[in-house]
Amino acid sequence: MIAVAANVYFDLTRAFNARGPIVALASGQAVVHYRVAIMSKDGDWVIHETADACGRVLEILGDRDAVYRPGAPLDPRWLSGGWSSHFEYADEKGRRIRCDFFSRPPRVAQQAIDRLFAAADDPLLVVDLESLIRMKQTQRAKDYAVIGELAARLPPEQEALLTTDADRLLKLAPVIHGTTRRPALEAAAIGDRDAVVVELAREQDRLRRRDRMRLDAYAAAAQPYLQAFARLPAGERQLPQAHRRVLELADRHLPAHVSLPEEA
Amino acid sequence: MQMLSDDDLNLGELSDEELAQAWDLWFDLAQATNDADPPYTHGVFQAVGVVPSIEQPGDSSGSETINAEGRT
Repeated sequence: MIAVAANVYFDLTRAFNARGPIVALASGQAVVHYRVAIMSKDGDWVIHETADACGRVLEILGDRDAVYRPGAPLDPRWLSGGWSSHFEYADEKGRRIRCDFFSRPPRVAQQAIDRLFAAADDPLLVVDLESLIRMKQTQRAKDYAVIGELAARLPPEQEALLTTDADRLLKLAPVIHGTTRRPALEAAAIGDRDAVVVELAREQDRLRRRDRMRLDAYAAAAQPYLQAFARLPAGERQLPQAHRRVLELADRHLPAHVSLPEEA
Repeated sequence: MQMLSDDDLNLGELSDEELAQAWDLWFDLAQATNDADPPYTHGVFQAVGVVPSIEQPGDSSGSETINAEGRT
């Protein structure tokens, strides 16, 4: 019998959610799910911020002999502070599987996350397009091309607020009613293409700098913890026993909440 | 203006099985670049300059460094 190829991250999502929705596939694999691109090697999930959800994910990763990578404990105390948890294992083919979790995706309203889990009706739960686009508003320039393609799948009113495509904005502006605070859309409304391009560039630069400042703040706060993590022997990074050890380290060295700088 | 290539956008015409097969094949090939990948592509540790490796914890020679290219 020939094995049917599958996306290991889609299968993991179904396994995590087999007893009820606790994670939603995000970032690169969500982009694969929406058929915008295929090149994503890692799995990233928004996890329901509960001890039960964390325990279930740790159990499933433990069954796969996963190890903790340097990162916060998968625990609501740190997740609620915006931290992320990172794991890795080798699948049956020896391929590297990396699994990342966070419960407070940047730039996404808590109500959107609550709605996502409340409305879940499929174990392959994937974040909605608007939330995915907001998660993609990162420091990385390449994410903004993906945003343009994702936004094209939204209704016109939403697309006009999120697209990074100047031509689409110029087409959408005449049919969008009501006011907006988006300078690029205002420029599109008067048909000034140069101004649209400039305002889109300014918007992206602002978003990229804001994301970079946020990550820099977390990096600075994580330094003592990461130094302590570096001294953990490899065997102590293996699930399931690693979780208790990582919790102890974080309790001593990782602040649950980080003061973020003013928006750029 | 189309922002991604035809090869990317043709994914929309694939069945679920074809998409999984295409990704699985690509993922096999992509293992070749594992050592060159940045330690983090998502989450709040992306701006950390050096993180301890899994293989050689505590040994700075086994650390992964994120350079400027790896952050973009």
